[in-house]
Amino acid sequence: MQIENFKSISSTNQKAKEMSSLGVAPWTVVVSDVQENGYGRKGESWYSPLGGLYFSIILPHGNIDDLQIITILAAFIVAKTIKEFFNVEPLIKLPNDVLLNGKKVCGILTENVIGSDVKLSVIGIGINTNTESFPLELKDIATSLKIELGREVDNRELLEKIINELKNQFKTISE
Amino acid sequence: MDFKIKIKNKEHHIELKENGGAVKVKVGEKEFVFGKNKEGLITTQSAKKDSLNKEVISSLSGVVTNVFVKEGESVGTGKKFLTLSAMKMENEIVAENDCKIKKILVKENQQVKEGEGLIILE
Repeated sequence: MQIENFKSISSTNQKAKEMSSLGVAPWTVVVSDVQENGYGRKGESWYSPLGGLYFSIILPHGNIDDLQIITILAAFIVAKTIKEFFNVEPLIKLPNDVLLNGKKVCGILTENVIGSDVKLSVIGIGINTNTESFPLELKDIATSLKIELGREVDNRELLEKIINELKNQFKTISE
Repeated sequence: MDFKIKIKNKEHHIELKENGGAVKVKVGEKEFVFGKNKEGLITTQSAKKDSLNKEVISSLSGVVTNVFVKEGESVGTGKKFLTLSAMKMENEIVAENDCKIKKILVKENQQVKEGEGLIILE
């Protein structure tokens, strides 16, 4: 598993897109402790302070339908992993969010660059793992695993499990 | 002869005309003329300038979120034309080659269907 770690970058999706366009291999993972300009769908910002888990994966070339399936599957995989690891009941808000106690704990964004065909694709996953608190405007709609569980979680363990599951699922759907 | 063909849910209007020894095929706004050369082989005789224009076609249905280019602008390979929010993903539609924008067929927040034209290039 090729994982590129950063302390602080603008956005892991942005970095993964740049790296992919320079020929970096599929399944390379970009992780950053902090995202200065983390974003979700339609350019909405994603609060990304220290403590959370923010990563993007360079996806192999696939057709647009497979890419949509993997986006939806990613939400299931994150929810399943959180449930297995922490014995809680996350809810999936299709297709891109995972909720815990009615509040957002994870967001997923797949981005494709398309010319005459799909040039590159990345999937970005942001999980509020050890986020201590949220600004006032997010307090009612966002939560973190730490807030819900009352303890720290292991970001690395969670990351590796999710990537492995995604790899397996992608293999299955593109076969 | 006039007829329509449907490819990937998009209808194309086709016009076929015989003109002297040549056959004129019009597909939408594009025109192709075929004729026999001295050896009796079928060749493309000439084409209207329009046939040199290339259309950027949407490969998926969605909503145009941002348009980054202007009509008349020359852009390089890889330049972002527009973003399309589609199938729960964000898609950047980029230039395949260096080109010049002739006409932009869509606006921000416009819904587009798969197979629909987005931009005409010169």
